[in-house]
Amino acid sequence: MTSHETALDLAEPSQVKWRQCAVTAGRIGLAALLLGAWKLGADAAGPVYAADPIKVLQRIVSDTASGSLLRHIYVTLRLSAIGFAIGCACGIALPFLLRRMPRLTNAVEPYIMASVGVPKYALVPLFILWFGIDDAPKLWLVGLLVFYPIFIAVFAGIRNVDRRLIDMARVAGASEAMISREVIWNSLLPFFFAALKIALPRAVSAAIIGEFLVGNEGLGYMIESSRQSFDTTGVFTGIVVATALVLVINAALVRIDRRLNAWRPVERHMEV
Amino acid sequence: MAVPPLLEVRDLSKRFATRAGRDPSSWVIQQLSFSVHDGEFLTIIGPSGSGKTTLLNMLAQIDSASDGEVRFQSVTAPINDPKALNPGLSCKIGYVTQEDNLLPWRTTLENVLFPLTVQGRLNEQTRARAQMLIGAVGLTGFEKHYPHELSGGMRKRASLIRTLVYDPPVILMDEPFGALDAQTRTQLQEDLLRLWNLGRKTIVFVTHDITEAIALGDRTLVLSKSPARIAGEHRNAIPRPRDIRGIMTHQDFPALYQSIRAQVQ
Repeated sequence: MTSHETALDLAEPSQVKWRQCAVTAGRIGLAALLLGAWKLGADAAGPVYAADPIKVLQRIVSDTASGSLLRHIYVTLRLSAIGFAIGCACGIALPFLLRRMPRLTNAVEPYIMASVGVPKYALVPLFILWFGIDDAPKLWLVGLLVFYPIFIAVFAGIRNVDRRLIDMARVAGASEAMISREVIWNSLLPFFFAALKIALPRAVSAAIIGEFLVGNEGLGYMIESSRQSFDTTGVFTGIVVATALVLVINAALVRIDRRLNAWRPVERHMEV
Repeated sequence: MAVPPLLEVRDLSKRFATRAGRDPSSWVIQQLSFSVHDGEFLTIIGPSGSGKTTLLNMLAQIDSASDGEVRFQSVTAPINDPKALNPGLSCKIGYVTQEDNLLPWRTTLENVLFPLTVQGRLNEQTRARAQMLIGAVGLTGFEKHYPHELSGGMRKRASLIRTLVYDPPVILMDEPFGALDAQTRTQLQEDLLRLWNLGRKTIVFVTHDITEAIALGDRTLVLSKSPARIAGEHRNAIPRPRDIRGIMTHQDFPALYQSIRAQVQ
């Protein structure tokens, strides 16, 4: 339990409980409202343009039973995970390497920042041309989209480290490797987690878009092939499942963040 | 035969690098010379902004001098070459900085054990020493607290014993009790003297408080306003163990205080 939660519990327990109940009730009410709006909109638009939420639920159940939905989820998650791991590893490693070479950093920084502006999705045709039609072009897309937010956050985090803590660690006999691992890594963890909140959903989105264009499996493929056969319910099912995946990943991330950053004095209320 | 000083500073000068569009910075320290002997408790007093922290940073080799010589155990520190510095001189010089500089993600105990961990010296014996020090400064029961959960005085104590725990032969202290209330400060001064009596290390203690300088030191150096030079040197023969709370009533105190006071600008 974090100190913040303890503090909240100490302050007027009944009031706190009431407030929490109100928030939960509000959330459920909002969800019901959105679902109702979806149902009404779907009825008004007709089955060609929008799928009925009840049919989407039925489709999720039937596709799960047949195993095809789980297979698509597995393929997309696998692609996202590998692409994410590559992009994330590079996004962490590069700033740590550049830290040791300030002059090189100054030289390459404008080029790295300029490359942020290149629309990555526009590169997919080139990736297909260069890397074929297997996983490789999709991994490049996912990797690049994950790389930038991580790189920028870790880079900024390293610059933000308190010099006095580094000096203290040096005087205490820490080697450069230990300083990187202990002082710098822990100092930039909050930055890193902020970037993860952008990068993780992006990895799934990028994998789905990659699958629109290449391949014959995965949620992206499922959405695109449903569209081609005028199966609007299939498209909506894909979108709902992809959204649910991202929400689950985010919830896991928030938990890990809370655990790793438990030392921080202020709990953040921004948990998107 | 005279014993050579443990730490020797000769004609030390420091000015900071200039930035584009500014006049060259003036000297912060100029032609400063003094020496510290093994086992001595040296206090340095000077007005704020007189380069005291800069001086300690150079002794600890966090910062390099612009000119002159710093010699520790007959080894000279690099001049004007920040990359060749050896911060802490391979753990021979400990440094208690003005801010506590505790690692916010480590608990009190983990912070105190930090130097031992990075030096690869964590074992039963050193752990026991850490526990002993935590007890000695009254932090028992706060081992698992994070720095932001401690009071200012507790953080100062933690940062003090973090340096004492690995037992460096020389300890530099930069106004470590500056921001504390009088009661806590006296308590910590007593703690420090008690711990110093246990091991008799060499201590260079910087302060702007004349009473503190007299209460703690064997010898007091007075620095002039910037650029810092030695304005005076005072031997302090008040016998140990000293009564910190009653130091002002000692017969030698008024004269010593007056002569230091006259030199502090």
